[in-house]
Amino acid sequence: MSTPEEFENEVRAVKEAVPEANEEEIVKEFTRYKDEFLVPPKHALRSVIEHFQKEAGMEVGAPKISSRPAAKSVERFSNLSSDDSNVTIEVEVVTYVPRMQMVRGEEKQIAFGWIEDNPWEDGGERTRWDFKDWGNHAESLTPGSVVRLEGVSVNEWNGKFSLNVNQSSRVAVLRGSERKVVQAPSEPTAIERVLGMDGFATVVARVLSKREMTVNKKDGSGTLDMVKGRLADDTGTIGFACFGNFDHPIGTLVRIEGAAIRRFRDTPELNIGDRTKVEVYHDNAFASLEDLQSSSVLQIGQLRDGSADVSIIVQLTSWASRSFTGQDGTEKTVWGGDAVDPSGTCRLTAWSELPIDSDSLPVAVKLNGIRVRSWQGTPDLTVDRADQAEILDAIPWDAIDATDHAVDVDFTELLSGGSRSGVSSTATVISVATGSGIILRCPECKRAMRDGACMNPACNSQGPQVGIEDLRLRLILDDGISNGAIILARASAEDFLEMSMDDVKAACKSDQGESFLADLRSKMLGRKYTFTGRAMIDAQGALLMADNFKMAESELAESANVVREQWGVFV
Amino acid sequence: MISNQPRGRRQTAIRLFAREFYESSLPDGGQGEYDPRFVVTKLGAKVNRMYVAGVIERLEKRETERGTMFSGAVRDPTGLHLWSVGSFRPELHIEMEELVAKFEGGDRFLMACIGKSNHYTTEDGGFRCRMQMEDYAIIDRETYANWLVETAHHTMRRIDALNKAQSAENTDANSLRDAGVPKDLIDGLGLAMNHYGEWDSEGYKVGVLQALSAAEGRVVSFEEHEAIDASEDGNEPQEKGPVSEAQDVSDESVPTPTTGGDIETTVLEIIVQHSGAEGIDYDSIMKHCAQRGFTDEDAIEDTIYGLRDDKCEIMEPRFGWFKPM
Repeated sequence: MSTPEEFENEVRAVKEAVPEANEEEIVKEFTRYKDEFLVPPKHALRSVIEHFQKEAGMEVGAPKISSRPAAKSVERFSNLSSDDSNVTIEVEVVTYVPRMQMVRGEEKQIAFGWIEDNPWEDGGERTRWDFKDWGNHAESLTPGSVVRLEGVSVNEWNGKFSLNVNQSSRVAVLRGSERKVVQAPSEPTAIERVLGMDGFATVVARVLSKREMTVNKKDGSGTLDMVKGRLADDTGTIGFACFGNFDHPIGTLVRIEGAAIRRFRDTPELNIGDRTKVEVYHDNAFASLEDLQSSSVLQIGQLRDGSADVSIIVQLTSWASRSFTGQDGTEKTVWGGDAVDPSGTCRLTAWSELPIDSDSLPVAVKLNGIRVRSWQGTPDLTVDRADQAEILDAIPWDAIDATDHAVDVDFTELLSGGSRSGVSSTATVISVATGSGIILRCPECKRAMRDGACMNPACNSQGPQVGIEDLRLRLILDDGISNGAIILARASAEDFLEMSMDDVKAACKSDQGESFLADLRSKMLGRKYTFTGRAMIDAQGALLMADNFKMAESELAESANVVREQWGVFV
Repeated sequence: MISNQPRGRRQTAIRLFAREFYESSLPDGGQGEYDPRFVVTKLGAKVNRMYVAGVIERLEKRETERGTMFSGAVRDPTGLHLWSVGSFRPELHIEMEELVAKFEGGDRFLMACIGKSNHYTTEDGGFRCRMQMEDYAIIDRETYANWLVETAHHTMRRIDALNKAQSAENTDANSLRDAGVPKDLIDGLGLAMNHYGEWDSEGYKVGVLQALSAAEGRVVSFEEHEAIDASEDGNEPQEKGPVSEAQDVSDESVPTPTTGGDIETTVLEIIVQHSGAEGIDYDSIMKHCAQRGFTDEDAIEDTIYGLRDDKCEIMEPRFGWFKPM
């Protein structure tokens, strides 16, 4: 707790400024700043003085809101005068001569030399000035380089001008004196990095799988032979597509130079075209096919919409079939169920019958070479042929209870990955969007209406409607690195608000929900919340659907300690 | 992709302390009509949207040519976050009126402020940043303490990224990525390193220490040399005042070294040396500064206010008179 002694100096300062102020009151004010606002007395002084000045009816010095040191930025030396002291200018360094000099009995390195203004104009007129470097900027001020000097000052001696580059000056190298070595594009890149790149890439990788296929050309002019497959190195795997011959059997180590990176949905793929060079590569230290195969088995949390040739092991928790009539009039059957693994949940769809008995669930299934499609944030493993699935004897983990299976995922990790369901994450509410509260839905398409009309162009009833009331909250979650919108539908919203929809309706009645929203904002803004649900992620951003939403549990002292430990900040 | 957010994607709210923001001088983006505008900090944060917090210190309503606006400031452990509510956000005005009344009645409170970075250049070429408020809430001590911890984490994460970037061969994206700079900071750090050059991030670490201690309930103010990074054991604290050195040198060769960056140390020294019981008056500070070669009155005035408001090194017991703390 605070003691009056610790504010001694500050109290004296306040008394000097406002002699009639009561000492006890002053201590009380400082204590309040310290305990309630976490502001040390030194930083609170001005506010406290102002407070007592005001109370005493004294004139308070008008606070000057913008007050930062100003810099003068010029292009030519001729624009400078002898008293300019915070100058920014771009120059070319002509010479740089370091010299040791005794300063206060200590040997210090300073340097002098020539600089020229107007460094960018070829053959343009330049003025040459002397400069002195007091701040040891030798590394940046190499002769021949063009630099921007900031915070330098002008010096005039017997009518001759020069520039002082001070210790506090900044030197930004705009053009180095030697061209920096740019990484040659023919250098191989790790697959993990290629997954996040655009353009072209060179990789050294082993062929993990391949299959030849024939596709119909889009314009109907015939067919095209191609090879699709998957490549791996010890950092990851990537699919490839080759138009033409690809005669390298599975297990071959190849070097592929200049392949274009193309994206299908969320999934990057290497395109091997006419200009791509493919050659067999020799490296005895490269990971074996066996190792790569076992490490390339994915988990549900890593699935991306549009992936092909995926290997994965899942626990199947439900299984059913459904029949429908296809476009060509034939009766078709499709099988489907829910799948989980320790990293999340997803769907499984099979277009051929698999040897699965719904009475023996849960059961583990190993899937090979399958496709992934996503629907509303939930990945769907698509099995086309029965030989892609293999029923395992045992589940390789403790059987997961699929009913409340949610995996904790870091918010940025979740938002930089693909769509997932069965996840839980925490971030700060940064905005409560209008359109939270009671909304009206179009009776036909069920979308939220605006201004009493359905705005959905695809809806048969587009236009003014008598809408159906519903409750929903729309918030923005943000962790300082990523952000996304989160929707709480009626049930989750009622749970979170601890109010029924009728309660909310009543609260919104008098002012169309304005005060309801204002209340919500003042309760939620800047605070952390944890949600459980699914994440739909695409190029437009992230949309999160919350099944459950609650205030995050955090221990302040513990989280402060985590920060200290992680970054090594101690007094 | 988080770092190169395509157009139309919502900008993430950067957590940063006041000092990192107001020491920024690099704008980026905003060429096209819909391109987001950023302020790039020395630590490479590309700030468009931001989330800041602190205790209210100033708040006033202003009538301008463009209508009613509000300007205010909240204080965090490193200084003041200046913000304004423009005339184009009338939906916030009613609440702001209430807030002004509260403030003028002597009430003080903690605020969480979310807004967009904004910058402009003054007539004399100075670069100033502030925040256009989008939304705010009055928060409790616990929420503020959580913000302090979170912002301390993000600041250290950026300092760490800067250290990694400084060990990179080059400032292009590939080199920075190879050096271990996180994806969201690659772009900004590349820009920051080319613009700000070499500097010492020690002062920002002091802010982090201050924030963490405050969050833990130990409300103290640290001096710069007290920040010790465990990962850089034996790192000698940097000397801050090269002024006397410049004077020594001037005896030998350089007359009136008008060392722009040292103006602050000089002003502080003048105030320490010459203030009597009453302090020292504004005009005398100007005279002493002139004797030492500083004649830009605006810069001196700015420095004085900076020392008073942001650094809290001096106080103004009565109008126009200054004393060291």
